[in-house]
Amino acid sequence: MTTLDRDQVLEKVREHLATELEIDPARIEASTRFREDLDADSLDLYELVMELEDTYGVKMSEQEAAGIETVSDAVEFVLARQPA
Amino acid sequence: MPSPTVALDGRGAEQGADTLMIGARAAAADGISLRVFGDAGALAPLAELGGVEVIDAPGEIANTDEPVAAVRSRPDSSVVMAAADVAEGPSEALVSAGPTGATMTAALFALRRTQGVRRPALSVQLPRPGHSRPGALFLDVGANTEARAGDLVQFAYLGSAFCAAVLGVERPRVALLSVGEESGKGTSQIVDAHATLGDAEELNFTGNVEGRDLLGDAADVIVTDGFTGNVALKTLEGTARTIGAAVSDAARSNPMAAVGGLLLRPALGGLRREIDPDNTGGAILLGLRGVAVVGHGSSGAEGIANAVRLAARAVEQRAVERTGELLEGAGATRGGLRRDRNEE
Repeated sequence: MTTLDRDQVLEKVREHLATELEIDPARIEASTRFREDLDADSLDLYELVMELEDTYGVKMSEQEAAGIETVSDAVEFVLARQPA
Repeated sequence: MPSPTVALDGRGAEQGADTLMIGARAAAADGISLRVFGDAGALAPLAELGGVEVIDAPGEIANTDEPVAAVRSRPDSSVVMAAADVAEGPSEALVSAGPTGATMTAALFALRRTQGVRRPALSVQLPRPGHSRPGALFLDVGANTEARAGDLVQFAYLGSAFCAAVLGVERPRVALLSVGEESGKGTSQIVDAHATLGDAEELNFTGNVEGRDLLGDAADVIVTDGFTGNVALKTLEGTARTIGAAVSDAARSNPMAAVGGLLLRPALGGLRREIDPDNTGGAILLGLRGVAVVGHGSSGAEGIANAVRLAARAVEQRAVERTGELLEGAGATRGGLRRDRNEE
C-alpha cells in the first residue's frame, strides 16, 4: 500500500470541512481548531471521523475522537494508524 | 410509480414483536414494500407476506446504552443495519420504534445531514381537534436541547417544506413558539430568529404563537428548540391522558352522568382517536439526506403502520429533495446564514 503523504491527508480534511461547514478552504490550516476557529460541533467532528475511517481504513475510538481538537490532530492520527 | 421500500427496525418496540408484526402487516397491505431487520426467527411470519423481506439482525441497542458509542460499535444491531440499508440503497426510508437516541444517531451517521443543515430537527404533527385543516407540524421536539437563532431559522424552512410536500398545505403559516406574540418577546435566540424570518420572502412567517396555540388554528408549522418542544409535547400528551381519565371517571360517577356519557361516547371516541399519538405514527427527523421516522416509544400496531405510511409518503413526495431545494434557494444553509450575519 502507498504510504500516505501528510499533505494529501490535510487536503482531504480541508476538502471535507470546507464542503460540510460551507467555509473557504483557505481558512483551514493544520493549526486550525475545530470548535474555536471553525465553529464546528461534536456532530461535525464525528462526520469527519467517519469520513477518515471510510477513506483510510483507520478506526477511531470514542476517547480518541474526543481528543481531536485541531486539524493537525486529525491528520496525525490518520498517519500514525494507517494500515501497514 | 412503484411504492417505496421502507427499512423497519424489528426490535425495540415497547409493545413487542407481535404488535410490530401487526403494524407491518397493515402497512404492507397498503402496498408498501418492507425490509424488516431483527430476530429472523421471531419475525418469520412476516417473511410469508408479499413485498416483505426479513433480514436477520442479531444485535440490539437498549434505552440504557449511550447512543453514539452503541451505534458506532454495534454494526449488527437492527437499527444500524436498517439505517445502513437506506444509505446503501435497497431501502428508501428508515422507521424505528426503538430508543429515540439510538435511532436518531444511526440515522444521522448513515444518512448524513442535508448539505448546509447544522442541526436536524425532530418534528411531529400535532392534533387539531375540531378543525379540518391538518394539525400543525411542531419542531424540534427533542433532537437538540439547545438551538441557536440560525438553527431555528433552518427549522422553519425544513418544517415549511415538509408541511407543503407531505401534509399538502399550501404556503404553510410558520410561527415561532414564544412567551408572547410581540416580536421582542422570548429568548435572544427567538428574537433574533424572528428578525431573520420576518424578512424571509420564501416563507409565510406569521410571527410568534404561545403554548395555548399549539392545538389551535394559529399556524401550520410551529418552531422551537428541542428542550422546549419536548417538554411541551409531553405536557400535551400527559394533559390529554389525565383529562381523558377524569372525563371517564366523571361519566361513571352517578346514573345521570352515565347516561350522558353513553350519549357522548361516539363523539368522544372520535376525539380520542384524533389525539392518539398512534394516529400520526411518529416523529420525522428533518434535515437529513434520507427519510427517517422515529416511532412513538409505546407505539401500538396502528402507530407502527402509520409511521411506515408517513415514511413512504415522505419518499413519494420527495420531502428530502424539496426541503434541500427550499433551504438552498432561500440562502438559509449554514454558509448562507453565516454570510448574512457577517453582512450585518
